[in-house]
Amino acid sequence: MSTLSSAPITLAIPKGRLQEKITRLLNQQGIRIDLEDRKLTALDAEEKLKIILVKNSDLPTYVNFGIAGLGICGDDVIYESAYPFYRLHTFSFGGTRMCLAGKKNTSPESDTRHMTIATKYPRFATQYYHSLGISVRIIKLGGSVELAPVLGLAPFIVDLVETGETLRANNLEIIEILEKIDVHLIANPAYYKLHYERINAIVDLLKRG
Amino acid sequence: MERKRLLQFPGAIEGLRFEDAHRHQEILLALNDVFFHWGYLPVETPVFDFFDIYRPLLHGRDLEKIYRLIDREGDLLMLRSDITLFLAKQLGLSLRKDNLPVRACYADVILRHQNQEDISSNEFFQVGAELIGKPGKDGDLEILFLTLKILETLEVSARIHIGSRAFYNAACQGLSPEEVKTLSGAVCSRERGDILNLLKKTQSPAVCRLTADLLLFLGTTAEYRDLFKACKARIPSEDMKRELQYLLDLGNILEEAGMASHIRIDLSEIGSQPYYTGLVFQGYMEHLDSAFLGGGRYDGLLSTFGLSAPSVGFSFFPRKIEPWIGRPERFFPSDGVEKARGTTFLEKIRHAEELRRNGKRVIL
Repeated sequence: MSTLSSAPITLAIPKGRLQEKITRLLNQQGIRIDLEDRKLTALDAEEKLKIILVKNSDLPTYVNFGIAGLGICGDDVIYESAYPFYRLHTFSFGGTRMCLAGKKNTSPESDTRHMTIATKYPRFATQYYHSLGISVRIIKLGGSVELAPVLGLAPFIVDLVETGETLRANNLEIIEILEKIDVHLIANPAYYKLHYERINAIVDLLKRG
Repeated sequence: MERKRLLQFPGAIEGLRFEDAHRHQEILLALNDVFFHWGYLPVETPVFDFFDIYRPLLHGRDLEKIYRLIDREGDLLMLRSDITLFLAKQLGLSLRKDNLPVRACYADVILRHQNQEDISSNEFFQVGAELIGKPGKDGDLEILFLTLKILETLEVSARIHIGSRAFYNAACQGLSPEEVKTLSGAVCSRERGDILNLLKKTQSPAVCRLTADLLLFLGTTAEYRDLFKACKARIPSEDMKRELQYLLDLGNILEEAGMASHIRIDLSEIGSQPYYTGLVFQGYMEHLDSAFLGGGRYDGLLSTFGLSAPSVGFSFFPRKIEPWIGRPERFFPSDGVEKARGTTFLEKIRHAEELRRNGKRVIL
């Protein structure tokens, strides 16, 4: 049997709100990443880490199939993917809340046995309410979920809320905070098992950040 | 039939053609040669059986992947999704204690549901071996060494992670069956916080931390030896201590045989099925997103089918690793096909036979 290769560890990072924070943190820990304009992959200066830039919601797919061994993403996409990952580190940035929201003064208490919810997170919403013994009808949306109660598609939405400004702008409000969402370094379990020494060194670096 | 319909396939099936099918068969011949020289003889199992017989032994994702169908009498059947279980029934019913030990091997198609977007499971074919009637270290080591021999034959860059269900069971003493199941999930996903939360119900904080450290241990045999030496006096139960020592003994022998670089002691390996009773292991290799090989000891499994005998075995999915087998050309069909010469058909047949006697591939 031959030995394992020393190819760079692969890390998927999400485009968008977390990208800048992650690259800054890596740079602070001496992992210099320079993603040229429009390029979606890059090696760090020492060629020990390969960064893959992917859409946030696609990130678990890349890690699950081992295309990237590691990834950085929130509980929301991890949970929605239903793939098994190791959570190796929780970051201090990027945390948010998964909330039930609706038009002001709309309470789900008037009909707690059955709710219609528009959401980008059907798995989370279904399992959350089923665990409370509440039946839900889910309308899956891809974005701009706030429109659903405004236009009458569904009385409630389940969505990530950071500042709540978009909700307020659409005359909506948080009815209930359902779960705290953190950002994690995740690993494909098989990839971790093969490369745990090098991955643990990266985790130690990130913990210092 | 509409072409659009012909282009559709149900999940989890594959067909092999020509060079691919030839390579697959040649690989199986090479594996069968290893099994044969280790004294293992093949067993062929039925393609389907009654579902209710196996239902108590099936859990989690393995249960979800099973194809079920109803026969003409209204009985619920299951297609063969794991040869180990079908083999256990067949051998449990047919073997007697005075037949033991028995060495069995198998290589056959299995049928499991696979999502359309699942690009990598490739769980279409299962190869494995069972050693029945040989308890303890000698049995476990024989299966581990056979596994390593198979990997050496295939020349794949793989590593075997060895753990212990017996140690896990000892660490769970005092927990309810539901808590044992929850803890198993936490150990498999290496969630230290969840492990501590469950263990604190039966253990003091210091013992909890030690047990969690042990359950999450992953390292070389040398590192494991150091850890065991350092914490031996603090291990809370004799059962836990005995199982850890047992694992160290296996690791020491594998190390002495020069296998250290292919082995890791990994106590988060606790076996995906609750019927495991002792040694458990999984195989990992580069390019694959999940374990391609698994095995262990299940001393109570055969008694479900009427034979009380210890058993240890392993199985793997060859279709998952075929692209990464070393020197693949040894399994390709030999180059060049000659054409028989002659003016009549009989002349061509005679010429072809002559060339074939010299090992040539000849078409008429």
